[in-house]
Amino acid sequence: MDNITRREFLKMVGAGAALTAAGLAGCAPTPTVAPTKAPVAAPTAPVAPTIARPTGKLSVYSALNETTNNEFIKAFKAAYPGVDVDLLPMGAAGELQTRIRTEKASPKCDVFIGGSSEFHDPLGKDGLLEAYKSPNAATVDATFKEANGLWTGWYIGIFGFVLNTDRFGKEMANVKKPATWDDLLDPAWKGKLVYPDPIKTGGGYIFMAAQLFRFNKDEDKAMEYMKKLHANVAQYTGTSPQVIQLVSQGQFIGGLNWGHDILTTKAQGLPIELIVPELTAFEIGAVSIVKGGPNLTAAKAFVDWVLTPEAGALNVKLSNRASVRKEVPPAPGAPTLDKVKLVPYDRQWASDNKDRILKKWQAAVGM
Amino acid sequence: MRRISREPSVVITLALLVGLMFAFIIYPQVQVVLVPGLGGYVSFLAEQTWVKPFFNSLQVMCLSTTTAVILGFIYAYAMVYSKMPFKPFFRVIGVLPLLSPPFVVAASYILLFGPRGVISYFVFGQSPNILGLGGLWGVQTIAFFPFAYQLIADVLARSDARMEQAARNLGAGPWQVFRTITLPMARPGLLAAILMTAIYIVEDFGNPALIAGQFTVLPTQAYGLISGFGDVSGASVVSTILLLLALALYITKTRIEGQRSYVTISGRAGTIPRPPVPMIVNVFCFVACSLLAILILMVYGVLFVSAIVEVFPVKWTPTFKHFEFLTSNITPMQNTLVYGTVAAIICALFAMLLGFLVQRREWRGKRVVDFIAIMPAAVPGIFFGIGYATAFNQPWLDWIDRGALITISMIFWNIPVAYQAAIAGLQQIDRSLDDAATSLGAGSLRAFRDILFPMLDGALLTGFVTAFVRAVTTLSVVIFLFTPSTTVATIKIFQLINDFMWGGATAFTVSVVGVAVLVLVLVWTISGRRVGLQRTQ
Repeated sequence: MDNITRREFLKMVGAGAALTAAGLAGCAPTPTVAPTKAPVAAPTAPVAPTIARPTGKLSVYSALNETTNNEFIKAFKAAYPGVDVDLLPMGAAGELQTRIRTEKASPKCDVFIGGSSEFHDPLGKDGLLEAYKSPNAATVDATFKEANGLWTGWYIGIFGFVLNTDRFGKEMANVKKPATWDDLLDPAWKGKLVYPDPIKTGGGYIFMAAQLFRFNKDEDKAMEYMKKLHANVAQYTGTSPQVIQLVSQGQFIGGLNWGHDILTTKAQGLPIELIVPELTAFEIGAVSIVKGGPNLTAAKAFVDWVLTPEAGALNVKLSNRASVRKEVPPAPGAPTLDKVKLVPYDRQWASDNKDRILKKWQAAVGM
Repeated sequence: MRRISREPSVVITLALLVGLMFAFIIYPQVQVVLVPGLGGYVSFLAEQTWVKPFFNSLQVMCLSTTTAVILGFIYAYAMVYSKMPFKPFFRVIGVLPLLSPPFVVAASYILLFGPRGVISYFVFGQSPNILGLGGLWGVQTIAFFPFAYQLIADVLARSDARMEQAARNLGAGPWQVFRTITLPMARPGLLAAILMTAIYIVEDFGNPALIAGQFTVLPTQAYGLISGFGDVSGASVVSTILLLLALALYITKTRIEGQRSYVTISGRAGTIPRPPVPMIVNVFCFVACSLLAILILMVYGVLFVSAIVEVFPVKWTPTFKHFEFLTSNITPMQNTLVYGTVAAIICALFAMLLGFLVQRREWRGKRVVDFIAIMPAAVPGIFFGIGYATAFNQPWLDWIDRGALITISMIFWNIPVAYQAAIAGLQQIDRSLDDAATSLGAGSLRAFRDILFPMLDGALLTGFVTAFVRAVTTLSVVIFLFTPSTTVATIKIFQLINDFMWGGATAFTVSVVGVAVLVLVLVWTISGRRVGLQRTQ
C-alpha cells in the first residue's frame, strides 16, 4: 500500500486525518452532552417547576436577517444566561426546511425560526415538529398559530410594491402612484415592472393567490388580470430580494415585494419607496420546535421568549416586520394589518391548489 | 492494455478508489434519486412543468458551450503558442471568472450592462434587457470559458513541438500546421473541454438564478421548488433529469472519441522551441485576450468599487465600513481556505491515480467508473449537498466532523475536471514509456509514480487549480452541511446578499478572490520553477 503514489499523497492523507481528529475533538461531545444536561436541570429546581432553568447548548436554524440574528441572540442570552446558542443563519427559509428534512434521521436543530408559516406547516404535517403551545402565545390571535401548536406565528410581513422614486418622478410624471393592483395594468408601466417568479419564490405565489382571492376565486378573472399584468412585466426574477435590488439600482421602476424588506433597503439611503396597494396579502412569520432535537427544554424557553412583547418589539425595530402582538407598536412608516386593506386570504386553499394554479398561469401567459 | 489481475497492489488500490467513489458519489446520490418514489416521478413528469425548462437548458447549453469552447481555445492558443506579452497577467485573468460566487458576479453584470447599467446606459445610452437568454448566454460564456481554456491549454502545452517544426520544415504554412497538426493534437483536450463545459453549464444554478429572469432552466426550477415551496420531491426528479442528460452527453462523447490515439509525447519532449507564429496572430491573440481581460476586470472592478463606497450606485463616499463584516467573520474565511486547499490537493491526486488506472489498465466495469468520475459535474451542487446531508447525517455517523465532511464533499464534487485533465494528459503520453518501466520489472504503481506522474505536472496543476477555485466558491454543496463553526465564506456572502447588504457582500467577495489569487500565484510560482528545472535537465 505504501507505494501507491508519492510521499506527498501520504502526507496529505495524514493532514486530512489530523484535521478530522482535531475537528472531532472539538465537536463530538456537543450532541451527547446537551440532551443529558437538559433533564438534569429540572430536578435541581423542584420549587418552581414551571420556570426550570434551561441550560446547555441550543441549536437555532434562523431565516431572519443577519443583523436581527445577532441582536436577537444577544437579548435571549441576557434573559437565559445558562443557554449557549448555536445559531445557523440562512436567509432562505426553503433551504432550512429542506435541511431539517434531510437531517431527520439525526436531528441537529432545536428551533426553526423565521420564514413564513408555509415553510413550517409541511414539516409539521410530516411529523417532524414537536407540538408546543407556549403560555405566551395564549393571547395571540388563532389565525396566527397552528391549532395543535406545531408552529406559532410571531411576526407579520405585508406584501407591497417597491417604487424607484428617482425614475418614477422623471419618467412617469403624468402617472399616479399605484393605489390598487389594477393600477399596475396601466400601459405606462410596460417594461418597467419586475415580479419575483411565482414558480420559484414564495412571495411571487402569494401575490398571485391574493389576486385569486381578490376575484373571489374566479380563476378566469384572476388569470385575465395576470395576463394583462404580464404585458407590463419586464422580468420575472429568480429570487425575491433581486426585485428590490434591481429597482433600487434603477434598472426597473417598480416591483412586487415584501414591505419590510423594501423598508430595510430604503434605510440604506436608496431612492425607493414602499407602497401597499389595497387588497394585499400577508405572511405569518413562524417559530417551531424540531422533534427529537438535542435540547427540548431550552427550545421551549426560546419559543416562550420569542413570543414576549420585548422580543417582538426588538424584531420590529431590527427588521421592520410587525409583531402578532397588538401591544407592540409597528416600525415607523411600516404598514400594519389594521391600516392596510387585506384580501380574505385562505392559506390552506392557496397551498392545496398551488400546482394547479401555477400551471394555469403558465398556460395563460405562455411561459 | 495490461490486465491488472496479476498485481494485487493494483487491485487493492483500485478497489479502494472505487469503494470511495461509491461511498461518496453514488451512495449520497442514490438518496436523492430515491426521494420522490415511483409515484413522485410519474406525477411530476406527467405535469410537464419540466418540459420548457428542459429545452431552455438544452438551448443555453448548446449556445454557451460553443462560444465558451471557442473562447477557451483562443485563450489557450494565445497562452501556449503566441509571443504575446504579459502572459502571467493573462493567466490570472483566465481563472478569475471561476473565482467568485456566481450570484455576485451576475449581479455585477447587471450593474454594468443592465437597463440602467454603467456601460450600457450611461456610456452608450442603451437600455438593453439583459435578463433572459441573451444575458445568460453571455455570462455563461465568460464564466465557463476558463474550464475549456484550462483543459485545452494543458494538452496544447504538452503537444510535441517537433511535429510542428517538422511540418514547417517540410514547407507547410502556419495555417496548414494549425489545421493539420495543432488542432488534431488538441482533440483529447477539446473533447474533454466540450463535455465538461456543456455539463457544467447545464448544471449551473447561480448565473441563471440571477440573470436568466423568467427563462427558467432545470437547475433554477429545481432550486425554486426547494427554496420557494420546500418541494424536495419534485426537485429531485429535476435533478435526475439532469443526470440523464449528462449520461447522454457522456455517451455521445465516447462515440465521437472512438479508438483514436493521441500520443504526442514519446520521451524527450519540450527540448525544441515551437515554430514562431506570424506577427498578425500574435497581435490578434493579444487584442482578443486584452478585450476579454478588460471585460473581466470591469466586472471585478464593480465589485471592488461597491466594497469601498458607502452605497454603490447612490452614495460614492469612500469607506472601509463594509470590511467590518470581514473582521467579525474571520473563521469562515479560514475555513474556506483550509477546506479548499486540502480538498483540491486530495482531489487532484485522486483523479490522477484513477485516470491512470482507467486509461492504462484493462479491467471490467471501467466504462462505468469512468462515467462515475464525471457524474458529479452533472449533479447540481444543491443535490450533491442534499445527498450528503441525507446519507451522512445518521446517528451512527455523528462522530464525523463536519469540516471533514465538507472537505470530502468538495473533493468528490470536483473530481470531474481533475479527472478529465488527467485522462487528456495520459492520452498524450506514449504507452511505451510506462511499458518499458514495467518490462524492466517495475510494478504498475511504481511505473505510475516514477514515470507518468512527473510528466503529468500540468494536468495535476489543472486539477488542483480548478478543484481549488470551485471549492472556494461553492455555495450550494455546503449549504446543507455547514454548522456555525464550519461556515464558509460563500455562505456568509449569500447571507449578506439576502439581507440587502451589497457592500458587505462585495467586501467579502473581493477578499476571498484576493486571497485565492494569492494562493494560486504562489502555487504557480512554485510549480513553474519545478517545471522549469525539469525542462533544463
